[in-house]
Amino acid sequence: MPDTDDNGILAKIIGPKKRWRAYKARVRALPEDYRLAVDAIERFLMLFAPKDGVRIETQFEDLADLFEQAAADGTPVRDIVGNDPVEFVRTFAENYTDGGYTPARARHRLIRDVNRAAGDTTGADDEGTV
Amino acid sequence: MGNQATEMLKGTLEGIVLAVLSTRPAYGYEITAWLRDRGFTDIAEGTIYALLVRVERNGLVDVEKVPSEKGPPRKVYSLNTQGREYLTGFWKTWDFLTARLEQLREGSK
Repeated sequence: MPDTDDNGILAKIIGPKKRWRAYKARVRALPEDYRLAVDAIERFLMLFAPKDGVRIETQFEDLADLFEQAAADGTPVRDIVGNDPVEFVRTFAENYTDGGYTPARARHRLIRDVNRAAGDTTGADDEGTV
Repeated sequence: MGNQATEMLKGTLEGIVLAVLSTRPAYGYEITAWLRDRGFTDIAEGTIYALLVRVERNGLVDVEKVPSEKGPPRKVYSLNTQGREYLTGFWKTWDFLTARLEQLREGSK
């Protein structure tokens, strides 16, 4: 049954890649502030390892769903991610991962980049407490 | 809301979302707006969305995709039988906690 095997292997190799490309295309199509926020969240999510049996592509597709819907509703970036984006992203990532190593540098970067995406340049890089 | 409220809310938000859904089916944006109107002003829509993904994965809600005038189809969530059982358990735990905490407060007066 070489054909079936090939299909299986191809699906494994090409499937995730295709899904990833489709996700990236969806993100590119978002308004700039939403796209910047997704890029920042995506970078942070890369620090988490997927749970057994969970396709990590699903996580990013769900992320795109959230931001596409929010963009359509006109929900501001800050209202999506809240005052503490680290808290939001961790809660989100729990669905797909067993956690990850998120050093302070990565947390500060997420907060800074999300602040920029939300048009808030006055905010400090400190972790939100709210 | 201060940090204390945020920390306390963390453990109860999933139950709160299910309780909202027990009154009627809703989508993420509606649930967030409903909670904000009732004083949960700092709730992030993304956090509610993350919890909806969780309860969906845990089989506590049914999901229906409804076409939307603007943007992609909306996912409308409704509490199913398993979700109702889970919510009953949540309220039992809540009653236990609040009763014991009240005893503690009375005792420390």
